[in-house]
Amino acid sequence: MVSGGLLVQQVVNGLFFGGQLALIAVGLTLIWGVARVLNFAHGAMFMVGGFVGFYTLGATGSILLASVLAVIVVFVLGYVVEHSLLEPMRDREEFDIASMVVTLGLAIFLENAILVGVGSQRKSFPTFTDVIWNVAGVTISVQRLVIFLISLVALAALFLIITRTKLGLAIRAVSQDSDTALLMGVRPKRIYSITFGASAALAGLAGVLLAPMFSVYPSVGWYPFLLAFIVVMVGGLGSVRGTLVAALGLAIVRSISMIWIASETAMIVLFAIMVAVLIVNPDGIGGWLDG
Amino acid sequence: MTASTFRTALGRARQRLAEDARSRNGRAIAVGTALALLAPLALTAYTLDIVMQLFIAILAVSSWIFIAGYFGMFTFAHAALYGIGAYAAVLLVGEAGVHPVASILLGGIVAGLFSLPIAYPVLRLTGAYVGMVTLAYAEIIYRGTILLRDVTGGPTGYTGFPYLFGGDSVVMYYFVLSLVGVLLLVMYVLLVNRFGLVARAIRESPDAARMLGNNVPRHKLMGFLIGSSIAGVAGALQAYSILIISPPMLEIERMIEFMAMGIIGGLRTLSGGIFGAVIVFGLSEVLRDYGEIRLVVWGGMLVIVTLFFPNGIADSDFGLRERFGGDVPIGDRIREVIGR
Repeated sequence: MVSGGLLVQQVVNGLFFGGQLALIAVGLTLIWGVARVLNFAHGAMFMVGGFVGFYTLGATGSILLASVLAVIVVFVLGYVVEHSLLEPMRDREEFDIASMVVTLGLAIFLENAILVGVGSQRKSFPTFTDVIWNVAGVTISVQRLVIFLISLVALAALFLIITRTKLGLAIRAVSQDSDTALLMGVRPKRIYSITFGASAALAGLAGVLLAPMFSVYPSVGWYPFLLAFIVVMVGGLGSVRGTLVAALGLAIVRSISMIWIASETAMIVLFAIMVAVLIVNPDGIGGWLDG
Repeated sequence: MTASTFRTALGRARQRLAEDARSRNGRAIAVGTALALLAPLALTAYTLDIVMQLFIAILAVSSWIFIAGYFGMFTFAHAALYGIGAYAAVLLVGEAGVHPVASILLGGIVAGLFSLPIAYPVLRLTGAYVGMVTLAYAEIIYRGTILLRDVTGGPTGYTGFPYLFGGDSVVMYYFVLSLVGVLLLVMYVLLVNRFGLVARAIRESPDAARMLGNNVPRHKLMGFLIGSSIAGVAGALQAYSILIISPPMLEIERMIEFMAMGIIGGLRTLSGGIFGAVIVFGLSEVLRDYGEIRLVVWGGMLVIVTLFFPNGIADSDFGLRERFGGDVPIGDRIREVIGR
């Protein structure tokens, strides 16, 4: 029999992990919703963010500076990639597959170029705090709590930008109907590039934040990318709200299932959930949430 | 399929083969086939082995093009199913004492069975969604082969299976060459007939294909099963040609290799797989000593080819463009051939 304490502990762990997962998955769903690009380079953006963070932290010792710099660098990288690689193909009929292949090629290129450049050994981050709280029998790592809170702040900032600013209005307009948006004086091409940059920057931020736990190496992005994949499929591609719910829900399911099975096997549970959701409703749970 | 429709199907394939043989790519493939048949006269056992692995790669890539290029189902599970075919074949020989030649075909069947759990969700999805679901499935198969160490030997792999044909490399070479040739012909015959036309109709517009009276899910399921089973056979052949199988055989890196071959060669024809495999395989051999540079080059080539050569380097449609392009819309042409 599983004790109640262990269950609560795993729910808390799952919640923290869900916040980080949401940070990665929301970027993936956002760029699909706005520009119909399935970004296979999302994991590579995560990895680049991790490396920028690693070197900045090594040089300055400031996690804040490392995060800001990673966000800026990855945003610029994402903007340039969209502008120079994806924009020229946008009018093609099979754009969704062509963009998938190009971003996949880019991911392999980036990952292995860095592998050739710096080698494959794992670079461990210094943890920024070792403090652990004990609240009513549940242990809470302060570092994980801080990462969770930063993730929430970043997601809230994104949500505010999308709902409250003129840029957000333009993004929503382009995602609804890019031709009409163009007639209203919005430049869809720029919006696509900015959205791609922002989506990549979220992955880059996640790369810095999670690096203290996972350490940094060239192929570090694949596993979080696959998890984020399953999350957006369950949440419904393009639905930010569905993705948030799915990220928290699946992360908690993953944590709880890890009471009985190994963490590698937990992926199979998530996959089974994904297939079940797809068979019942190919639009994912976002279809119900967004009405 | 009755005997007369079977004869018609073969007749159409023969007619198309005669036309294709006169095309630029057709002549290149004919010369290549002749060289392949004569190769054992001139090559050492080591070089023969490399050529053999090229044929296996051609089979694997062509079976991927069969699914991804013709049906538009962009599957990422192909390398995993290729690995499943390899594991199934050698485990049947090593643990159950099945005859090695039979095990190769059984490996294909097992790969087909393993494709079923993913085939059903894939039937309901399109475009990029297919890529995501199959990628997750491939990852699970990969992790599964590592975790089930009692059966698969875990990360170090499985070696307890014999040489085919007592290690006679020339006999092995001709066996691989003929099996690859037969399976390529099977796919070719299917694709130049009604099956292939319906596949392309489904790729262009599933709704229109359904309105023409085709059972779209059944066709997609057949395509996915046939392509995956042939990948399994290719995997089994590869296992016998290198005599060890380990999890890297079904890693995502292998999938990327197949995709690079298919996309660089061109997804619109089976011959694209042959050209792509020759180019990428040749490049890999040249860059063998430089490790990961190979992957940097593939990644860059994927980007450049997709951007500038949307139909791949071997951009020839075996004359299909003249047949389908021009004044006649493809829908009319398909209706005409299907006869509805």
